[in-house]
Formats: sequence, C-alpha cells, structure tokens
Amino acid sequence: MSADSANAIAVSWPRRAGATALIVLCWLPVAYLALLSLARDWAFPALLPPGLTLATWRRALAGNDGLVTSFATSALIALLVATLATAAGGVASRVFAYHRHRGWWVLAMHAPFALSPVILGTCLLYFFIRLGLVGSSAGVIAAQFIFAYAYAVIVLIGFWNPHVAALEDLARTLGAGRRQVFQRVVFPLARPLLAVAFFQTFLLSWFDYGLAAVIGAGKVPVLTLRVTEYMGSGNVQLAAACALLLIVPPLALLLLNRRLAILAA
Amino acid sequence: MTPSAPPFVTVEALSKNFGAERVLDRIGFTLERESVLAILGRSGGGKTTLLKILAGLIPADTGRFLLDGRDLTAVPPEQRQVVYLYQEPLLFPHLSVRENLVFGLRLRRLDEAAMRARIEPLVERLGLADHLEKMPAQLSGGQRQRVAFGRALAIQPPLLLLDEPFGSLDATTRAEMQKLFREVARQVAITAIFVTHDVKEALIVGDRFAHLADGQLKLFADRAAFIADPVSGAAAEIAFWNSLASKTPSPPRA
Repeated sequence: MSADSANAIAVSWPRRAGATALIVLCWLPVAYLALLSLARDWAFPALLPPGLTLATWRRALAGNDGLVTSFATSALIALLVATLATAAGGVASRVFAYHRHRGWWVLAMHAPFALSPVILGTCLLYFFIRLGLVGSSAGVIAAQFIFAYAYAVIVLIGFWNPHVAALEDLARTLGAGRRQVFQRVVFPLARPLLAVAFFQTFLLSWFDYGLAAVIGAGKVPVLTLRVTEYMGSGNVQLAAACALLLIVPPLALLLLNRRLAILAA
Repeated sequence: MTPSAPPFVTVEALSKNFGAERVLDRIGFTLERESVLAILGRSGGGKTTLLKILAGLIPADTGRFLLDGRDLTAVPPEQRQVVYLYQEPLLFPHLSVRENLVFGLRLRRLDEAAMRARIEPLVERLGLADHLEKMPAQLSGGQRQRVAFGRALAIQPPLLLLDEPFGSLDATTRAEMQKLFREVARQVAITAIFVTHDVKEALIVGDRFAHLADGQLKLFADRAAFIADPVSGAAAEIAFWNSLASKTPSPPRA
C-alpha cells in the first residue's frame, strides 16, 4: 500500500465515523418513536420493551381516535398555506425587490418572526374573533399564512435581480407577452427556489402548534395538538405513532424535491 | 422624377428625464431600410436609454418612434418586433443553444420544420453547428454572443438594436464578431442601430454615423464627415496610429 493511499484511509476514517454518528443522531429519535409505538407493556426501568405489537397502529389507523382526520386536516391546511404563501410571496417578492425601498420591505417581512407564534396568535385573537375566524380551519390558515407569506417573501426576494429583469425584457422584445415571460423564463428559473419556499412554508404550517392552539381554540384538530393531547392523557404509544405520522409528509416532500432536483439536473 | 421613399425608421423629438436629470433631449433622426446606424458615445451618455425606449422597455417622456410608417411609441415591446441585443451575451440559462435560437420562433408557433429551415442557415453562418445541444454555461463569451445574435436574427426583426454587444469580449473575439456582424448584416439585409463607445467599431459596423453626448444626438452626413469631426475622435485616433507607425522601424527583410 502506498503512503498516499494510507493517508487517504487515515483521513477518511474520522470523516466516515463523524458522518455515521451524525446520521445515527438524526435518526435515533425516529427509531425510538417507532419502537415506542410498537412496544407492548414497556415500563421503567426496562431498556427494551418485552414484546412488540401493532395494536397502537391498528388503533391509530382505525380512525376512532381521530388521528386519520387530524392527519388529513393538517395536510390540507399545510398544503393550502404553502400554496397560497408561495404564490403570494412570489408576486410580492418581485414587487418588493424592484421597489426603491426594498430594504424596508425586507425588514417588514421579518416582523412576524420577532414574536413567537403563541404571542402573535394572542395578539391576533381579538381581530380574528371580530372576523368570526376563531375556532375554524380558515382562521388557522389565515394566521399561519401571515408567517408563511413573510417567510416566502424572504426566501424568494433574492431571486429577483437585474439579470432576471434583463432576461424578462429580452423575452419581451423577442415577442413574449407577460404570461409567456412567466411560463417560459421566470417560472423555470425560479422553480428550485419556489420548491424551497413551498417546502419550508409547508413545514411552518405542518409543525405549527401555537397558532393552531390559540386561533383554532381546540376546534381544529391538527396533528401537533393531538400529540400533546395524547401525551397529556398518558397515552405515550399513541403519541409516538402520532409523532411518527408528523414526519411522513415532510419526508415525502424532501424525497420528491430531491427526485425533482435529480431529474432537473 | 420619382418621389424618394419615406425613411424606414423615424425618431422625432424623443426626450427622457430621470428625476431632474435630462438623459435624452429631443433626439431626432431617420434611417433607411437595410442600413446600420452606428451611434458613438461615452458611457452614461444616454445610448442605452435611447435603445430601451425604441425597444419599448421604458417609455419616453415626449416624442415619437415610427417604424415603416407605423407609430410604435405606445406599442408594448412584444408587439414591436424590435429586438434588443444586450451588452452581456444574455442567453436563457435553462435552455440549450438550439432552444435559445428558436425561442422567438416558438412564441410565434412555427412548426418544427419551419423552425429548422429558419435557423439552419443562421447556425451555418454563425458557426454554431457543433454547439446546438450545449447549455449556455458551456459556451465561451464569443459563442454566447453568436447565439444571442442568431436568436435575434431568427425572428427576422425589421429593426435590430445592439447595445455595445461586443463590449465584454476580448480584443480578438471582438474583432471577429465585428467582422461577422458586418458580413451577416449585408447577407440578411439588417436594419440596425448599433451603439458603441469604440470609434473603430462604429466605423466597421456602420453605414451611417451619429454621436450621442449629454442627451444630444449629432447625425453625420457620411463617413468622411464623421471621421473629420473632432467629437468622434476618429481623426485623433488615426493620427495616433500614424505617428506610432512612423516611429516604429520597419522589420528587416528576409
């Protein structure tokens, strides 16, 4: 073995070990949740459950506990919020990017993040009561949209620059109307960033607890509320199954995004 | 006696202010079909603003722009058929060379055979045959400008606007592109307005000549008048090269 290859192995070992440790660290809570959701009579101080059962998952998926409804509600709300926020953020970011007070607009878009969702939800509660939105899915969507829209603008504003503006102008002189400029130039160029904005705003909504709790007033059964509800009632197995369900859509989106990126490349 | 043909391009009293700054001050000129007007001027002299107004990308404050007798002053850019070629070789980065070339033709819904027939001669003339499937990032600056030029010519625009299109190229490539532009302009009978800050480039590409400074356009009667006028700087440049040539000893004969 040459000295060079020996050195390469020596360098790659700590890297490999570090990477493996990182992967294990990331997936350990997921593995633990999976084990917890499958555990039968797992009591302290046992390190491992005495046996495994699918009873919790059967119960969860039977729909009697409202878990399936919660999953569908959360997914629908998150998809709506992400779609609306990405679309509105895309349009608004263009306006703000080319505005002479661009900096002020960007600063304004950070305002919702100065408060925690619970505090913001409490601040919004009065207005939402007046609008008759408290305790409804529409109210939760509207409240989450404030965060998600601001986030989408922050993500997308970087896309608009003089180069993109010149490409838009060029397309117009070549005969493209405004819609064709969007379809043939702007959208294909912005697609990766739009995917990021959609993914991130989906996550903002999907994992939201504070706004759903305050504005939803316990009447909008999103998955994050279910987890705490099951934890509070001492049903840790069902809480674990619910927490695992929380991971599924983001993971699916992440894989889809990766697949699309590979296809695009 | 037959009446003379009306000018193909007519620009009348075109003015533009940016805030308190007057960028174009009652610009007016005419241009015949199939001729190239070279406008010389320094950076910041209003050349780009003039071209962008003619392309419909920014509005003029006052004045009119007529093309072949049709008033285009208020017509949106996509309906003008006036193509604007940027200083940077601007290609759509997500499209291959071939798709860049047919971009304007796809908008006009030409079928594949018609598109091929339109771009094949251009591809040949511009030396792009080996690069059609490449992406813009894989091309050199000169190649990119050739594609941008071909893409503009493919839609057979009645008027082509060139905004220092070879400004970002190295000296050798720039000279090649100037020669190529001149050849293609003659072959496909282009009517064009070519702005540059390089007097030599203006003399190579132009049939007619103008100088733009401080928002005022001065049109010259012919090439000789352009060279003779001190504002063009052509006479001074010729004198410089002549003096250099006279001081340089001739290479010994073999």
